[in-house]
Amino acid sequence: MGRTLPSITQFFLQEQGSFSRFRRALRRADQLVLDDLFASARQHLAAAQYATHALPFEVFLLSMLLEEHKEVMRLREQVDELLSRPK
Amino acid sequence: MTDVHTGWLFDAYPNGKNLTLWMLCEDGQRRHFVQDFPVAFYAAGAPRRLRELWKWLEAQEVPVRLSRKERRDAFRGMITVLSVEVLEPARLDALFHRAASSLPDLTYYDGDIPLALRHAAAFGVFPLARCRLESRGETALDIVPLDTPWKLDPEPAPLRVLSLEPDCDPARGEPGRVLIACEGARYSQPLQPARPLLVNLSAVLRRCDPDLVLTTWGDTWLMAYLLELSRQVGVCLPLNRDEGEEVVVRREHTYFSYGQIVYRGRQIQLRGRWHLDRHNATLWNDYGLDGVLEMARVTGQPVQEAARLSPGTGISSMQFITALRQGILIPWHKHQAEAPKTALGLLQADMGGMVYQPMVGLHRDAAGIDFVSMYPGIMVRFNISPEVPRAGMDLEPASGEPGIVPLTLAPLLQKRLAFKRALVTLARHDCRRPAYQARASAAKWLLVTCFGYLGYKNARFGRIEAHEAVTAYGREALLRAKEAAEDMDFEVLHMYVDGLWVRREGCGSAVDFEALLNEIAERTGLPIALDGMYRWVVFLPSRLDGRVPVPNRYFGVFQDGSIKVRGIECRRRDTPPFIADVQMTLLQILAGAPDADHLSGALSEAQVFIRRSACELRAGRVLPEQLLVSQKLSRELGEYSSPSPAARAVRQMQAAGKDVRPGQRVRFLYTRGRPGVRAWDLPAPPDPRTVDLPRYRTLLLRAAQTVLAPIQQSLEAGQGYPGSENLFGFKVKSGLESDLSGR
Repeated sequence: MGRTLPSITQFFLQEQGSFSRFRRALRRADQLVLDDLFASARQHLAAAQYATHALPFEVFLLSMLLEEHKEVMRLREQVDELLSRPK
Repeated sequence: MTDVHTGWLFDAYPNGKNLTLWMLCEDGQRRHFVQDFPVAFYAAGAPRRLRELWKWLEAQEVPVRLSRKERRDAFRGMITVLSVEVLEPARLDALFHRAASSLPDLTYYDGDIPLALRHAAAFGVFPLARCRLESRGETALDIVPLDTPWKLDPEPAPLRVLSLEPDCDPARGEPGRVLIACEGARYSQPLQPARPLLVNLSAVLRRCDPDLVLTTWGDTWLMAYLLELSRQVGVCLPLNRDEGEEVVVRREHTYFSYGQIVYRGRQIQLRGRWHLDRHNATLWNDYGLDGVLEMARVTGQPVQEAARLSPGTGISSMQFITALRQGILIPWHKHQAEAPKTALGLLQADMGGMVYQPMVGLHRDAAGIDFVSMYPGIMVRFNISPEVPRAGMDLEPASGEPGIVPLTLAPLLQKRLAFKRALVTLARHDCRRPAYQARASAAKWLLVTCFGYLGYKNARFGRIEAHEAVTAYGREALLRAKEAAEDMDFEVLHMYVDGLWVRREGCGSAVDFEALLNEIAERTGLPIALDGMYRWVVFLPSRLDGRVPVPNRYFGVFQDGSIKVRGIECRRRDTPPFIADVQMTLLQILAGAPDADHLSGALSEAQVFIRRSACELRAGRVLPEQLLVSQKLSRELGEYSSPSPAARAVRQMQAAGKDVRPGQRVRFLYTRGRPGVRAWDLPAPPDPRTVDLPRYRTLLLRAAQTVLAPIQQSLEAGQGYPGSENLFGFKVKSGLESDLSGR
């Protein structure tokens, strides 16, 4: 109501929608991974809104990367822990 | 020879020539007075056109006093205006509109201010103000308030109340009797034959002489029915205490507000008494008569108006009174257009409050902390008003003269905070408690709407930049709060516009959060308070995608065992009562666990309960009333491309000759076969055998799943529970969403 600009969530859904042809052509397994990536970007919608970037998709990509790196760090920690365990 | 009366000002309205005042005098008498009350409107523009207006006005037969004056426009400073003082207040409206259409290029001020507000501003009075009135005979010479709207415990006025209630909903059936209650006595009077009804009612009205006629369905049906009957039979019904005036009838209308269709029924207002209809009073369910009277006190609107108006009109009324008292002109039409912005500027300004994505799942020992009345607080503290120029975005209190908006809000905000403080200290069973709660919530509604009105395109003292400034301060304050929390090693679970949820290992009681509260108050300058300590709180993911968190869907249990719920089925008004009750009971069972570590026992108990509820449903032991879905009709029937269940129910109502307007609610049952629904308010009762039990079962299990699944998951994660495919020990129908796509 009364919005001049779409909210970040609306914008996000538009962007996601614009990849529907891309998604359709992917293999089913890859489609699910793509959905996962988009879901991870949604974790940071509030920050993306606050950023007021002119090209929010860049922020979405960065959000995906952020979640990816979080996962890498978590896994690295687990690996380190496993390696340091006495055999 | 002058007389002096003290008492409560009851009502003020125009008669043909001047103003009629009613007082509830201290001696128990209800007296009426007339008061001369000339009122003015103003016009500004090119001197040549103003002279033309002057000549035009002199040619009219309405007596006016014309003069040239200097007055203050909130946005343009002092300007020269033509002041048009109308000596007979009732005639201002017509004269003003004729003038405005004859010379439309002039700028008009103060033209459409309700008379009651002008009177309130001129004398500092308000409905039920204690005051002293000086009179000569029936003519009021002066009126002096002995009271302010901001007093917490005003002396209650001795109101006499007559209650009228038909024995069934006239939209549903044919009422046969009307229940009359007055001063402890109760009568049930048949509606037919008409003459004895009218004679008896008229006798009751004369004997009790009520100040307030409180009805159910009075606006929409009862009063019009009685008036029509009295006309037909020729028995006079003294509904008005003022016999020289007609009963006032306002027509029904439907409008669009905040993304919703709203329906307002017809209004019937009395003169010399009040008529309130429980079903046609805004927010009556929220705050009742105490809230209505409070609304009238603080807004200055007459009680019958205050009961039926939206909080938005209430806040405008308060701003009008502030402006009138400050000698600031109130523009007839708003002139402030949005200032040009760059694209990036728009991008940065056009944002709402900050709404975070919560960390989905169950969290123990969390604290919910809230800024107290954040947006109004920001407007008052940082002097945000459309006419006040704004410098940078630092959170420093503004200097300079307070603008109209903060000036209007400051006492209201203080009053609400005083109510809140009082409610904390009052004992649980203190008799003042319900009234305080009602009045605090009336104040809350006004404060909440005030923010929206800053950005509303038709608000006379609104400006989108001021609206944007408030949200910008709000986001800044919330981020500062987050930084303060993180600096002190708290984990921020969620943030929502004016509140945040935080936790830290080892912090389990209110005192552990005091330092954080102080730090946030220090960094933002805004008052913040602990909303409560949760034993545990669950933030829910989206129903469509479990990976996506949604901001305002959560439930939790405070340390005192009370439950807080947002956004799930039992809060939604379209959920059938049976399902809402079951979900609430499940939450109560979970709340029975002393802490999050003891949830597994409660979970088993909850599963037993849900199985039993499902059995009861299947066995047909749930009453149809308990399965009613109540939905709003969102548009005209013809506008539906594929009619929703609500629209299909309305079609049945219309076939039975009952009209439902967009914005009105319709109640129906889901039934088997076509058309899948059965409207409830049809004359014939529904056949209980047709109820679509499997559909209700699906709704029931889904509501249970909302509450129980996250608890289950957290237990499994925490204790290595054997994963169970099914929560309730029996199969939930697959294709759940498609089954419910009709919603």
